[in-house]
Amino acid sequence: MSSDVFNVLVLVPFPMSADQLAKREEQRDEANLPKNIQLHYQTTKAAPSNYVSAMDYVIADIGLLEAGLDAEEDGFDAVCIDTVSDSGAAALRSILDIPVIAPGRTMFLTAMMLGQRFGVLSMWERWFGLYERTLRELGIEDRCAGIRSIDTQPDSRNLFTGKEEEVMPRLHETAVRLIEDDGADVICLGSTTMHQAHEYLQERLPVPVLNPGPLSYLTAETTLALGLTQSRKAYPRPLVSKTKMISEMLAAAAISEQTEDRS
Amino acid sequence: MKRVAVIVPFALGEADLARRRAQTGEVSLSADIEYDFVPVKAGPSSFQSHHDWLLLDVAVLEAGIRAGESGVDAVVVDTASDSGVEALRSVLDVPVVGPGRASMLFALTLGKRFGVLAQWEPALARVDKSLTEWGLRGHCAGVEHFDTEPDFEKLIGDKGGEVIPKMEAACRRLIKSGADVICLGSTTMHEAHGVLVERLPVPIVNPGPLSYKLVELFLAMGISQSRRAYPEPLVPKPEMIHAMLESVAEGDSH
Repeated sequence: MSSDVFNVLVLVPFPMSADQLAKREEQRDEANLPKNIQLHYQTTKAAPSNYVSAMDYVIADIGLLEAGLDAEEDGFDAVCIDTVSDSGAAALRSILDIPVIAPGRTMFLTAMMLGQRFGVLSMWERWFGLYERTLRELGIEDRCAGIRSIDTQPDSRNLFTGKEEEVMPRLHETAVRLIEDDGADVICLGSTTMHQAHEYLQERLPVPVLNPGPLSYLTAETTLALGLTQSRKAYPRPLVSKTKMISEMLAAAAISEQTEDRS
Repeated sequence: MKRVAVIVPFALGEADLARRRAQTGEVSLSADIEYDFVPVKAGPSSFQSHHDWLLLDVAVLEAGIRAGESGVDAVVVDTASDSGVEALRSVLDVPVVGPGRASMLFALTLGKRFGVLAQWEPALARVDKSLTEWGLRGHCAGVEHFDTEPDFEKLIGDKGGEVIPKMEAACRRLIKSGADVICLGSTTMHEAHGVLVERLPVPIVNPGPLSYKLVELFLAMGISQSRRAYPEPLVPKPEMIHAMLESVAEGDSH
């Protein structure tokens, strides 16, 4: 069977500069992606300042939904969400027929293919609610050995740049506690923004370390190659799809953010 | 070029092996990986009792160790029962993929509750055992069979006209029970996958081809099963395992 080229839209959940986006795009080189996968990164028009409350989750959901609305019409073969929160994925799945890959869900289920109980390594305790939400939704709370953080407020735009020496050893130490104290046999990185630490951690830890962004790209390729997509029965369509309303809402949100200068 | 061994759970001859190998044509695979189909040396005649399952565990373990000794980069087991997978993972460092557990977990990336299509009534016990072992019972909407004795050598072959409507009816029962994704309960059903996909409104996971794609994914990411989850034996006994299987290799009368 010949390999088709698959164009995958990667939705980045914050508006950001080209330099900042380049740091997200580095993930494409971390997965030995097959040549037939072309990644196209696109940011949302507006976003919460971080993902720590129910209000933030809702803003993230609507921002990512809007960013992916036209993906199919624009000729993309799949969408990957560049956040472990899986924000917007369920809503996008309800209106797109192309696969929408949710990295959080995918990472936890892949971890269960490699071990018995995974641990989630996070930057910040205030992100725990996001993981707990997905684990509850999937009904796999009992497969999670623990969630630990290095108690550091993350920089979702600049990532670890300039802070590597301080952050990496602490992530390592915390991952060891997940393995030794909590019984994790696979480590899941708690954010796609932690991708810069993946290689460092994998070289030093005795268990598989899952890098959610690159994993989502490879999962997109797998899903497409198998001719699969999300189940319409699990993600039914709306009776009336309000795409225009959603676009206008986000355009308004972007203007509001410029006015307030609080992006 | 990387090499992947696909362990076939029956001591098949070349013609029957080709029907298994046909699964690699059902999905676009990396040109940098070669799939080598390796049959077990001997095994059970049926697949419906603890006696059969245990024999297959040992037979797959032996074939997988053989593959590992020949320097393969990964091992796939061509049965959705994942026979031998756990034991192989305890002795091999390269990725070992079983299509059964993987197809159920992959189904959960696409939907909320999967249904399992089983071959016939005697196959239900193995699916039931798997759901318990893998802790996925709560995610399973149901298991339905299509009441057709399996032919592990000829697979569906020319019986499609008669068998596929029964498979479709069983899938529809699964959907009615709340399944939003269907897992084919055996890699031997792969010949029916294309037709079922055309006729049914939910994704259908074809376990064999999925297992090849997952091997590619694990190799691309440089990851393998966790040694913490699958600890090594204190004293591995590969010679003993080889001796047992060589003593009963097909061709002998048993």
